[in-house]
Amino acid sequence: MSAENQAVFLNAVPLLVLAVLYLVATGTLAPSFWRERRRMGEVESALALIFPCCGLAAAAGGVLLLRDPKPLGNTWVALAAIVVAALPAVQFLSRGGDRTLLLTGSRRAREAEQQTTALTRRREAMNAFTDTLVRTDETERVARLVLSEVQGLVGVEFAALALVEEGEARGLMALLGADEVEWWRNLRLELDREASAIGAAVSEGVPVTVHDVASSPYVKREVAEALGVRSGVWLPVSTGEAVIAVLVAASTGAPRTFDNDDLELLREIAAETALALERTRSAAALAEALARERLVAELSRRLRALDHDAALQLVVEEVGTALGASRCLLRLGEGETATTGAEWTAPGVEPAGAHALRLPTPILAARERKTVEIPDVAAAAERLGDGGFLTQLGVRAVLATPIIVAGELFGVLVVHRPETGNWRGTAVRLVEGVARELGLVLGTARLLQENERRLEQQAALLAAGEAVTSELRLETVLQRLVDEVVRLLDADAADCWILDEGRGVLRCRAVSGVPASEVGRETVPEGTIAEALALGRPVLKRDFGRSERPPPSASYAGFEEVVEGPITSGGRPLGILGVCSRTAGRFGPTDLDLLHAFAHLASLALHNAELFEERSRQARIQRGFYRVASVLGRPISRPATLDAVAEAANEALGGSFAAVLMPLGTTLELAGSEALPEPLAEALRRGVPTGDGALRLVTGERSVIASPAVDRDDRFDPEWRELARELGYRSLLAIPVEAAREERFAGAVLVFFSETRLFTDDDLEVAGHLVGAARAALERSGAYEEERRARSLAQQLARTGGLLASELDPAAVLDEVVRQAPRLVGVDAAAVRVLDGDELVVTVTEGAAAERMLGSRSPVSTRLSGDVVQSRGRIAVEDAEGDERLLAADPLLGLGFRAYLGVPLAGAQGAMRGVLSVYSTRPKRWRAEEVEALEALAGNASAALANAELYQRVALEKERSVAILANIADGIVAVDREGRVVLWNAAAEQITGVPAEAAVGRTPTEALGRALGPESDTPAGNRLVAVPRGGEEVWLSLTEAVMRDPAGAVAGRIYAFRDISADRQVEQMKTDFVSSVSQELRRPLTSIYGFAETLLRRDVLFGEEERRTFLRYIASESERLTRIVDALLNAARLDAGDLQISLAPIDVGSLVSEVVSGFETAAANGHRFAVEVGSAPVARADGEKLRQVLVNLIENAVKFSPAGGTVTVAARRDGETVEVSVADEGLGIPQAEQARIFRKFTRGDVGRGGPAGGSGLGLFIVEGLVTAMGGRVWVASTEGAGSSFTLALPAAEAVSSPAGEWVEAE
Amino acid sequence: MTRVLIIDDEAPIRLLCRVNLEAEGMEVLEAGDGYVGLEQARQDRPDLVLLDVMMPGLDGWAVAASLLADPRTATIPIIFLTARAEFRDRARGLDIGGVDYVTKPFNPLELAALVRSLLNRSDSRGRDDRRGEKLSALRASLGA
Repeated sequence: MSAENQAVFLNAVPLLVLAVLYLVATGTLAPSFWRERRRMGEVESALALIFPCCGLAAAAGGVLLLRDPKPLGNTWVALAAIVVAALPAVQFLSRGGDRTLLLTGSRRAREAEQQTTALTRRREAMNAFTDTLVRTDETERVARLVLSEVQGLVGVEFAALALVEEGEARGLMALLGADEVEWWRNLRLELDREASAIGAAVSEGVPVTVHDVASSPYVKREVAEALGVRSGVWLPVSTGEAVIAVLVAASTGAPRTFDNDDLELLREIAAETALALERTRSAAALAEALARERLVAELSRRLRALDHDAALQLVVEEVGTALGASRCLLRLGEGETATTGAEWTAPGVEPAGAHALRLPTPILAARERKTVEIPDVAAAAERLGDGGFLTQLGVRAVLATPIIVAGELFGVLVVHRPETGNWRGTAVRLVEGVARELGLVLGTARLLQENERRLEQQAALLAAGEAVTSELRLETVLQRLVDEVVRLLDADAADCWILDEGRGVLRCRAVSGVPASEVGRETVPEGTIAEALALGRPVLKRDFGRSERPPPSASYAGFEEVVEGPITSGGRPLGILGVCSRTAGRFGPTDLDLLHAFAHLASLALHNAELFEERSRQARIQRGFYRVASVLGRPISRPATLDAVAEAANEALGGSFAAVLMPLGTTLELAGSEALPEPLAEALRRGVPTGDGALRLVTGERSVIASPAVDRDDRFDPEWRELARELGYRSLLAIPVEAAREERFAGAVLVFFSETRLFTDDDLEVAGHLVGAARAALERSGAYEEERRARSLAQQLARTGGLLASELDPAAVLDEVVRQAPRLVGVDAAAVRVLDGDELVVTVTEGAAAERMLGSRSPVSTRLSGDVVQSRGRIAVEDAEGDERLLAADPLLGLGFRAYLGVPLAGAQGAMRGVLSVYSTRPKRWRAEEVEALEALAGNASAALANAELYQRVALEKERSVAILANIADGIVAVDREGRVVLWNAAAEQITGVPAEAAVGRTPTEALGRALGPESDTPAGNRLVAVPRGGEEVWLSLTEAVMRDPAGAVAGRIYAFRDISADRQVEQMKTDFVSSVSQELRRPLTSIYGFAETLLRRDVLFGEEERRTFLRYIASESERLTRIVDALLNAARLDAGDLQISLAPIDVGSLVSEVVSGFETAAANGHRFAVEVGSAPVARADGEKLRQVLVNLIENAVKFSPAGGTVTVAARRDGETVEVSVADEGLGIPQAEQARIFRKFTRGDVGRGGPAGGSGLGLFIVEGLVTAMGGRVWVASTEGAGSSFTLALPAAEAVSSPAGEWVEAE
Repeated sequence: MTRVLIIDDEAPIRLLCRVNLEAEGMEVLEAGDGYVGLEQARQDRPDLVLLDVMMPGLDGWAVAASLLADPRTATIPIIFLTARAEFRDRARGLDIGGVDYVTKPFNPLELAALVRSLLNRSDSRGRDDRRGEKLSALRASLGA
């Protein structure tokens, strides 16, 4: 293609097409554009112009190009550009209908945007509004806020809010522009009544739009004109349940429409308003309620604080002022008795005064028992009846609320208003609230009052009741009754009459305020009394004094009013309680009730009193019975029983004192009593003759005598009657009581009563019971006494038996017997007569009188005791009085004893020994058991006597045996068959060192520590047994003998033993002596024999000197031997007492020197000898013996001081004695042995280093010789320090004799 | 030469023993009491001791016990001289060894023979303590 073509086809044509497109588009837009021309903004205009411009431009271009086809640059590029440029148009056209969108779309967008912006702004405004609204409490402010918002948001000049309440619309607020429409507040619309836009809105529940107010039938013309509104919308403001307000938004000026947005907005506002209003309203309502409540509470508080009337006044005042009424009044009571409690009137209003009671409304309210609201008196004429009356009072509206408490109408609270109109709910509630409170207050007050009154009554009743029921004695109860009832009912007088059912009369028992003489008067029930009794309830008689039939007595005539209250118990009339007053009108129904209640109390009290009386009586009787029963239960002595019977009778019958009389012989004696006064007791003790009239009936014929007035009862002796008067007992009941044994007469129980007593059947019944009980008791008592006596006898007997059995002296036995006998049988004296040949001798007696008879004799043949002996049986005399023969037979009887009982005393082998007899000063009926007891005693005595005699014999024998045994030198031990020692004689004690007490009863082994023998059946003859005695062994020579019983069994053993230890000792000593002597003899013999043999030795030649020495030793040892033998002989002689002593004055000194020098020459162990001789001591002694003594002593001294030392021999004269002492410094002698050393064969301690040798006789001989010479020898020694032997001889006249010579005395 | 110690409180007996034993060619020592005897025994160690039983001060038994107790003298044989007759009977059965006795009066000639025999017997070694025991027993049975 050529460039031009290209240019044409590719550029020009598309351009033209483009232009066409745009122009078409323009074309479609044009109408809309024209339409919307005004409302378009610049942008839209510009946009709208694009299309035509582009079209035109494209057209122009195309055209040009056609004319001059020159390519525009690159044709294809240009084409592309053109295509691109065509897109918008294509797009636009393809969208078709939405062309307006282009135009108006932007505008609408703009508008929408605007609107959105506006909406947003509105929303924001709304939110702000809502916020503010929420914070706004007051209705006013809410309204203002809302309205201004409405004005602003919806764009109206007029906004108004009217509250809808109970079918009435009330203008709340209206804003015209910025100003409030004042009169709007006073707008009141009865929605039911008149048609209104508001009403329409309310009833329809939807917004009502009125385009042209002027032509609307709804809107009030006046209102509309006043406001100058043209169009408006009425929106109901509802909370969801009800419409509470109407929001009016109206425009002044030209009519307008409200579109949905507006409506929507308004609805929103309305909703918010509803909430806000509701809130404020509730707040307001709450506040109001609170205020009301507070008011009510305040009222009620002040009501309670104030007294009644002031409170009421307060109420009406407050209510009236609170409600803004003209009048408020309170009507109390109901029906005829209604009164005006309080009335308040607003200033300038006249009080209703007397008319108040005729007000119909309260009557209506009272009748209907609910609040009555009369908004218009005139209109409610048919309800009220007489409405004109109210109108006269200037009342147009009435509100009346009944005051009801617990279903009871107290009164009516009435509020009057001068103008008509519905009563606001709040007002009604307030009034009702107040009415309630008032009701409560009134009710409470009344309750309290009533309670108080009732309490008072109850308290009075209680006090009265207490006073009455605290007493049990009938008379006191009745008196208390009348006193209390007077007090209780504040009466002037009261009386109490008790019905005597038997006779059907009323007897006056107690009075108060009426002369006491009325007491005791009797009357039949009549008049008011009868009426009351019949009715069973108190009856009030007014004008009593005058109108009562039959006419009352003078005492009662002066009473105006009398109430008679019957006292009943279980429907049964007991009596009448009457209360009287001198003043008329004194008693009311409450008093009657009170009296009725009191009468119940009275009946209770009476009942109690009666019961008590009855019970007391019963108790008394029971006590009596019990006493009697307890007497039965306990066996006691007869006197105690009779006392108990008296006591029982007294108690049971309620007497003052009682006495029991028992027959004794022909009289009755006082046997028991209870509270008996002394004079009476005295009289009774003197003895009452049974022949006495009344008592004879009792005791003889056993009948009960009841005498209510003894002093007038001629059945009784004058004496009795006199006593009765003196002692003041009026009545007497005499009951017979059987004595235990069958007697002709019975006893009698007399019960005395200090007051006159009518004896009832009850009493007689008790008496009868008593009789039976007393008899039983006496029987029981009798049995008891019997038993006691028997037991006592038995005990005594046992005791006596015991005593007798243990008594071993026959004389004592008899003494005991005669002492016990009287006690045993309860008599005064006893005597034992012993059979001596053919005479009975009174041997022992007991009892002062009987003593005189001691020793008297009587033949066996005499009566009484003699009879006893001969018959070997008992003799009993009950009463010896008058019996001469008996008196003669037994002198004792003559001494004043009346009764006698004698029993035999048996002796050995059944022989009669004597008679035991007892005497009684009073006549005595000897009871069987007593006699038996005495016989038993006699038996015991016999046995005891036999025993005693036997014992005596035995004792004698025993003593003999004991003496024998005691004196035997041998020990005798007897053991029984169990081996226990039964005899241990003195010698046994001495020998064994075991005392008899320790040995008897034990076996010899136990006693001695060693068996006495093998205890075989056939003992060997003598045995040697060693028993320990005090640490030593004592040797006994024992013989044993077996005792056999008749059966041949071993019955015991007898041991006889002798202490041979001494013998043994002696034997031992002898043996020792022999051996020691032989030893001693052997010593010198050893030397003699030895040296002799030595000399005979052939094998050794001894020198002359040696030989001489040997021979010398032989000689000296022979001499020693001789000495020993001599000593033996001397000792033997001493033993035999065969010593020949020739005494002469001996020069002791020279003898001493001589002997000592002899020792010195033969000196051995370096002993030194010292001689101390005083001034020529001369003793009367046997020289040779003395020499022996000295030699012995010095030898000992030497022997016993082996260590050497000095032997001092001293002799001196000391007065009448010459003392010679030999002292050594040797071994000494132990203290223990110093006593023994002078005994035979006692040698110095061998084996302890003491010297061997020595016969043990030395000192024995020394002592023997010295003693034979009439002297004494003793030792003083200290062990280890030496000994000193001293002998003392009688001094003699110094005889000059040459030393060495001794003179033989004549 | 056999040395014999004679302990006796009686001089004649001592002389008797001395003479007769010296005649047999023995050396004789004498002591007049137990203490001295013991001393001499310890000092001079005799071959045999003639011991009188009944001595004042320390008696024969005590001396013997002391001799036995002292090891120096324990082995020396002892011959008791006693006047007690029963001794012979009682002690006969005992073989104490190294102890013998002679009752008084005795034949002095026989004494020497006895000394010799005892010495022979006691030559054997091994004299044991039984000797001591037997001694005590013997003493006890004699009843000190």
